[in-house]
Amino acid sequence: MMVSKSSDSASKLRKSHAEQASDEFGNLTQKIQQLKKQIQADRVLSIREKLEENRKKLEGHVSLLVSGAFSRNSISVVEANSQGEMLSSRIENPFCKINGFAQGSGDKEQINIQEVLFSTSAKLPYIEKIPPYTTWIFLDRNQRMAEDQSVVGRRRIYYDPHGSEALICSDSEEEIAEPEEEKHEFSEGEDRILWMTFKEYGLNEEVLNIISQYIGGTTSEIQERCYMLKEKNQEKHDQDFNGDEENGSEKNNLLERSLSAALDSFDNLFCRRCLVFDCRLHGCSQSPIYSNEKHSYSSESDEDGKPCSDQCYLRLKFVQDLPESSVVNTLHRPESKSSDEAVRTPVLPSSEEAGDVMHYEMGKRKVQKCTNTEPDSLVLASDDVQGSSKKQKSLSAQKTDSMVCEGFLNVDSSSNTEVGDIEFETGYKNELLMPNKDAEHLLYESASDKFRCPVDVPRPGLEDRVIYEAKGISHGTEVPVLKESTNFVEGQVEAVLNNSEWKPFEKELYLKGIEMFGRNSCLIARNLLSGLKTCIEVSSYMYNDSAALPCGAIDLPSSFSEDNNKVDAEFMERETPTRSRLIRRRGRTRKLKYSWKSAGHPSMWKRIAGGKNQSCKQYKPCGCQPMCGKQCPCLHNGTCCEKYCGCSKSCKNRFRGCHCAKSQCRSRQCPCFAAGRECDPDVCRNCWVSCGDGSLGEPPRQGDGQCGNMRLLLRQQQRILLAKSEVAGWGAFLKNPVNKNDYLGEYTGELISHREADKRGKIYDRANSSFLFDLNDQYVLDAYRKGDKLKFANHSSNPNCYAKVMLVAGDHRVGIFAKEHIEASEELFYDYRYGPDQAPAWARKPEDSKRDDSSISQGRAKKHQSH
Amino acid sequence: MAKMAGLGCEPVVGSLAPSKKREYRVTNRLQEGKRPIYAVVFNFVDSRYFNVFATVGGNRVTVYQCLEGGVIAVLQSYIDEDKDESFYTVSWACNIDGTPFLVAGGINGIIRVIDAGNEKIHKSFVGHGDSINEIRTQALKPSLVVSASKDESVRLWNVHTGICILIFAGAGGHRNEVLSVDFHPSDMYRIASCGMDNTVKIWSMKEFWTYVEKSFTWTDLPSKFPTKYVQFPTFIASVHSNYVDCNRWLGDFLLSKSVDNEIVLWEPKMKEQSPGEGSVDILQKYPVPECDIWFIKFSCDFHFNAAAIGNREGKIYVWELQSSPPVLIARLSHIQSKSPIRQTAMSFDGSTILSCCEDGTIWRWDTVATS
Repeated sequence: MMVSKSSDSASKLRKSHAEQASDEFGNLTQKIQQLKKQIQADRVLSIREKLEENRKKLEGHVSLLVSGAFSRNSISVVEANSQGEMLSSRIENPFCKINGFAQGSGDKEQINIQEVLFSTSAKLPYIEKIPPYTTWIFLDRNQRMAEDQSVVGRRRIYYDPHGSEALICSDSEEEIAEPEEEKHEFSEGEDRILWMTFKEYGLNEEVLNIISQYIGGTTSEIQERCYMLKEKNQEKHDQDFNGDEENGSEKNNLLERSLSAALDSFDNLFCRRCLVFDCRLHGCSQSPIYSNEKHSYSSESDEDGKPCSDQCYLRLKFVQDLPESSVVNTLHRPESKSSDEAVRTPVLPSSEEAGDVMHYEMGKRKVQKCTNTEPDSLVLASDDVQGSSKKQKSLSAQKTDSMVCEGFLNVDSSSNTEVGDIEFETGYKNELLMPNKDAEHLLYESASDKFRCPVDVPRPGLEDRVIYEAKGISHGTEVPVLKESTNFVEGQVEAVLNNSEWKPFEKELYLKGIEMFGRNSCLIARNLLSGLKTCIEVSSYMYNDSAALPCGAIDLPSSFSEDNNKVDAEFMERETPTRSRLIRRRGRTRKLKYSWKSAGHPSMWKRIAGGKNQSCKQYKPCGCQPMCGKQCPCLHNGTCCEKYCGCSKSCKNRFRGCHCAKSQCRSRQCPCFAAGRECDPDVCRNCWVSCGDGSLGEPPRQGDGQCGNMRLLLRQQQRILLAKSEVAGWGAFLKNPVNKNDYLGEYTGELISHREADKRGKIYDRANSSFLFDLNDQYVLDAYRKGDKLKFANHSSNPNCYAKVMLVAGDHRVGIFAKEHIEASEELFYDYRYGPDQAPAWARKPEDSKRDDSSISQGRAKKHQSH
Repeated sequence: MAKMAGLGCEPVVGSLAPSKKREYRVTNRLQEGKRPIYAVVFNFVDSRYFNVFATVGGNRVTVYQCLEGGVIAVLQSYIDEDKDESFYTVSWACNIDGTPFLVAGGINGIIRVIDAGNEKIHKSFVGHGDSINEIRTQALKPSLVVSASKDESVRLWNVHTGICILIFAGAGGHRNEVLSVDFHPSDMYRIASCGMDNTVKIWSMKEFWTYVEKSFTWTDLPSKFPTKYVQFPTFIASVHSNYVDCNRWLGDFLLSKSVDNEIVLWEPKMKEQSPGEGSVDILQKYPVPECDIWFIKFSCDFHFNAAAIGNREGKIYVWELQSSPPVLIARLSHIQSKSPIRQTAMSFDGSTILSCCEDGTIWRWDTVATS
């Protein structure tokens, strides 16, 4: 055992001679004994005090209860009549009285048993009881099991329902495997002893051993604890002195924190696949995957080359370019007004209203779809612009900021045309816009690629047309009013150029901005540093920043891509080889045959053909940059790359969706369908949905040629009813008639590991009801305590439904489909596909367990007749 | 939440040496048939009926009265037409106008609300998915009852309107049969439940209280009431390592028992900021020899001064609850009482103790004046 040589008190101790030491240790044990007794006595005392305190409180409560009990008396006395007084009247006239032994009987005296002769006051009418079930929670989508819900490693005790009292502990083959070394938890009392000894004797082997004898725990644990206590006491000591100093700094806390810390909850809790916080399906702390497909920032920002606000860097440039450099000093207004979401947007070039500042409300993002397809609305809007500086809600209606900007341009141009004052500053404009060549807001578009809800599936043509229009008209529109506006722009450039005020937090935000928007100070200031920095400040910081950098950070900041590579590497390392399925499972699970037979997308043929009987593999997005190589975890795992992967869209391992035009994707000709996948509007070329009645020019609703392979995604399910089954227990029934292959609903549940399922399966088998469903190589669905009504659909070997695992947006989900035409209010059955030895007795034919085609003895009415 | 252990966390264990503080003698013994009697309970809801008690056994609910001199009067008897019903539990409740109710439940999972004031069935609650192991009444609002069931849920009912208000189950709920449940004596929002998953869970219905209030004024069909799930308890305690078959509040502390021959008094130490975290401080232990089978419940007198519990061999231990160290008030035994005692009932002042046994007998014990 290590002896701490640095400890002062210990060294003091070591100086003493051997006998002295043993003497002192004897002293020590005595002291420890004493302290121990003291602590125990204290404990007894404190319990007594606690109980006394509790007793006093309870006394008060009880007196309340007493008065309650007595008040009920008076209430009913007031309305005393024959009604509701049967109990009182029975007290007057009981059925019978059974005499006791007034003196009481001693423990050895024999006493007679007195039978009670009953005359029944009332019968409780028969009520049919409902089939048994365990209380369950409705789930509309699968959930991953929370850690604390695991039954693995927990002892389970059963009782024999017939022998009433026999308690049987669960078989312990796996329980034994986890005899985790228990760590000693130090109680407050033990800490006291430790601290006392440490202070007076220091820490050496002998001392440690003595302590260990008295309070348990290993010597190393004790040592560690001592240092912890020492630190704690030190801190306490320090705090007593410096208690007041720390108060002031709290205010700037937010700005002092680093961005990564501020984004911590976002990074950890936001699910990038479901776009929700605290996703119960994919869990928190997912390793972020960065998309390889960054849009370049060098797009045509030219047309937007007008100042974003009166503190836009463009004004600075403009003024600098002006021959009269006198204006330079009066560039700024001291305060930045863009504090809330509403962002100030610039001056419009109409000569009558020169210098009039328009306010565009962009922050609120009231999404009114399709405004950009409506030429009328543009005209309207420009009218508004002409009339007054109204808030332009119709214009802020676009889905993404980039769209907003474009729409906004339209207005500019139309109002310009009306004013007819375009030529004026064309020359200027070109010059002005030169520095603004880089960045422009296109990341939002890439984001919208991913985040698009099924509703705004591409409407090719329309968008383009509008954009084109915007570009077309906006030639030569900009900036004529700048001269006027500069007149009221005040401020000092020097202040602006002063970088020292930038807090680390702001700097990080700025870097994020570069990442997102490129070198566009307008967008960065507006979206990320609103209320903190103005556009000019950002711009000048950017100028200095890029001067400091060896090469201009025009493209992706290099640090960013490095990060990605790092993530990749980590990702690969973490990837563990897939565990082979354990076959020792005893729990019954519903199994499925997976359909890999038909050909899918060319690149997938091999895999689909080769993996005939293999179970589905759990998909986990890869972060390969820029292309998936041999190390790609998806490739290793045998899954396709999906839209959530970081790799590029041209990745060879990507599933590219289908191009089906008229087949509705309902047959094996559709590669998605053949591969057991639902179509994905983000991936497939012609699969999409829309809403509305067509009056706004959007494509018509569901009809011919529309994809019919997105039914889980869109939850196009049938109404399922829950009722007593005709076969056993509860059953699921259909409300309305359906046709063959119609989708009925999803079988939802808790996602648990196979190991967990093995353990739970054993428990469920005892109760003879299992809701386990093999999902893929990694997960089993358990609908026992969380699920939906379809969990009650019973097994039949001649079923009217079938279950199919579908890959929906990267997740495996179980859909229940009609195997044939089903009439309204019929009970639903499907084949659980038990493994050969897994079927419960009732689902097995007595003589033939493998071909269990008449498994259900009672059967459904129809089936009964045919046999 | 684990127990606190180590030096300075030891519980105070009561001594089994009887204090002879009080002496009880058998004053009556009834045979109610051959089927086990699982529950016996005094009426603490209405002062007029403090000496009235009810028992359940088989498909029968019976109401008795304790009279002077060991006399027991039979007042009412109700029989379920379903012979297979086996009631496990019964509790006194009342209508909002004060009419006494009996609420019973058992193997069928149907809660029977009997209007004892009019000697007829008031309502039957069908909803639990399996047998009902215990029903308790909220003393401050005696039309509210909670039921603990084999279906792994605890449910809160309004017996006046027949509404299932809340279901305590789901993500954080019990993982096996719930065996016992109890209302906090003063905090109306709080209940504690325990069961075969070896845990005791404390639940709060504070956030759901509007539903409780709504249940009193509900005029539509009870089935249309928006019953809510309470999925997460505020506290989970692992005090025992086996079935926990009875728990009762003692002020802010909890009494609970498993099959370990003892009742344990402990303090749930919650952390205000983070619900679901905390620790258990075991304060006292009340030994009960030969009490190692499950489904043996204890009872307290109205003032929580004493608790009585039977054991496997038909003996009863009466503990003084609130003294430290605990004092064994009396140990009751009789040569003919050999059958396991499933439940006891202490009268308002603790002067009478009733016990009901596996063999279908009911015993009455009264204090005798000690000189």
